[in-house]
Amino acid sequence: MAAIIEVKGLTKRYGSLVALHDLTLSVEEGAVVGFIGPNGAGKTTTMRILTTLLQPTSGSALVAGYSVSLEPRQVRRVVGYMPDFFGVYDDMKVWEYLDFYAACYDIPALTRSGMIDDLLALVDLGHKKDAFVESLSRGMKQRLCLARTLIHDPKVLILDEPASGLDPRARIEMRELLRELKQMGKTIFFSSHILSEVADICSSIAILEAGRLIAYGDLDDMKRRLRPQRLIHVRTVDRLEALRVSLGENKRVTAVTAGTEIGLAPGTLAFDFVGDDEALSALLTDLIGQGFPIVSFSEHTGDLEDLFLQVTQGIIQ
Amino acid sequence: MSDELTAAPTTTSKLPGPLRNPVMIKELRSRMRGRRAFVVLTIYLTLMSGLLLMVYALFASASRANPFGPDTRQAGKVVFGAVVAVEMFLVLFIGPAFTTAAITGEKERQTYDLLRTTLLPARALVTGKLLSALSYMLLLIVASIPLQSIAFLLGGVSLVEVLLSQLVIIVAAVAYALMGLFFSSATRSTLAASISTFVVALGLTAGLPLLIGTLTTFVGPVLFGPGTPPWPLEAILIYLGLALAATNLPATIVVSEILLLERDAVLLFSEFIGGRSVVFFSPWLGFVLFHGVLAIVLFVLTVRRIRQVPRR
Repeated sequence: MAAIIEVKGLTKRYGSLVALHDLTLSVEEGAVVGFIGPNGAGKTTTMRILTTLLQPTSGSALVAGYSVSLEPRQVRRVVGYMPDFFGVYDDMKVWEYLDFYAACYDIPALTRSGMIDDLLALVDLGHKKDAFVESLSRGMKQRLCLARTLIHDPKVLILDEPASGLDPRARIEMRELLRELKQMGKTIFFSSHILSEVADICSSIAILEAGRLIAYGDLDDMKRRLRPQRLIHVRTVDRLEALRVSLGENKRVTAVTAGTEIGLAPGTLAFDFVGDDEALSALLTDLIGQGFPIVSFSEHTGDLEDLFLQVTQGIIQ
Repeated sequence: MSDELTAAPTTTSKLPGPLRNPVMIKELRSRMRGRRAFVVLTIYLTLMSGLLLMVYALFASASRANPFGPDTRQAGKVVFGAVVAVEMFLVLFIGPAFTTAAITGEKERQTYDLLRTTLLPARALVTGKLLSALSYMLLLIVASIPLQSIAFLLGGVSLVEVLLSQLVIIVAAVAYALMGLFFSSATRSTLAASISTFVVALGLTAGLPLLIGTLTTFVGPVLFGPGTPPWPLEAILIYLGLALAATNLPATIVVSEILLLERDAVLLFSEFIGGRSVVFFSPWLGFVLFHGVLAIVLFVLTVRRIRQVPRR
């Protein structure tokens, strides 16, 4: 698929402070990219440059083939942006709020009505159409802002911490909404502090640290690259010590640990395994052949938090 | 309620270009919603009525010595003068108050970035904010027409006087509203924008005449000595005085009115200096020209500031 966001050597300096250093990345159309990193890593700076709100010091950024510095109007036509902190016009009704932004995007007056109804239905705010914006809860305002982001049917959505400050229920609703947008074929570039949510929705992740991109790519690929061994959990009803000895004799198995030592259920062992699926299947067949009463045998893939900590280890001072 | 949505776009789509400005529609909708706008209008008209009543009562009591009672033509002039004075206060201080928060308010409310990522041109944003502020002021001025018409009932006010005063006031309203908008785009907070605007407005209205008065009183005799200066210098000084009057709204209205009444000078008048006739202009011409140019410059600068993609 063609790249819809192409960033090359993007650098942003504020005096002596380098907020973004030589960022280069490419996002394919339809991808959902999670942009993660600690506070001050340069995530918002990158997003503000991509949405034409900030001039880069050097480097280039193209969105749908348009330069953010030279063709800002064309970029705005294809990008929907939701900032991390935003305000709403409290003295407006929900439909008036969307109608105002639709007019700002040159959407003809006669087509706005149906479009607003559709968007409100999408973000589940249809019943609040005639309510004043000030009467909405934080989660509803966040969803209204997302509807505003979609008003001109942009190809790319740039969302800065879309779930920040939301209660668990509103976060789940926001995640479902992002999944729906993903199914609609939108390219979503979003930042979040909640790593489990990023892992849940995104196809790729970009990890930014102190203004530098330290990892970028497919989430599963990255996990595999960073952890060549596979972590396997096996639980048996009986003969735990015999099982530990048997696993220790296998050349593909390294570092066998008792489950109780790492917070797993009694009767469980955790071990690293080097090999493909066939080799792993052969090991299981062998163990069953030896008569071990195995009740579970599963691969533990590790979560994004493990990956994040592994990638950023030593970089954060 | 649901047909409200379909009704609104259909109505606006029939309006001419500038009146379809989304920012203007939004601002007017917000401003006219609720009781605030109508409370302000009521207070304004009540104060204006009270002021006119007081002015007329003062005038009538001062004319008690006249055996024929108060001269209604004079009374008309006084009432008209009071209305114009209120309108001047409105455009000098209330108008900019509407616009100083126009851009900084968006920044403080954290809605500015959302607006800047839309396709709304900077020009349309500035025009929308300006028109919405001017529309409300226009509403206040139009609402006071019945009070102003008392002056016509009493007599003593000519159509030319009314037209000239309204032209000058409208031009001033646009220029001062744009001044508020410019400072709103150039500063980070509404407070800073308000202070900057009122310092400049006060400087032009009161500071400059005070400075000129002081200079004329103390420096003039030292520079030119006693007696009449040579005619070219006198002509230049009159021109300079008229040009300076043209930077000041009250001075423009007062001097233009005096020239109109005493010399019947609508546009130009001539004065004999050193035995020759020299032609001078009425200050309202200079005022309209100066404030017209100022308004254009402020509009362009404001649009440029908004269009600028920040480097920080």
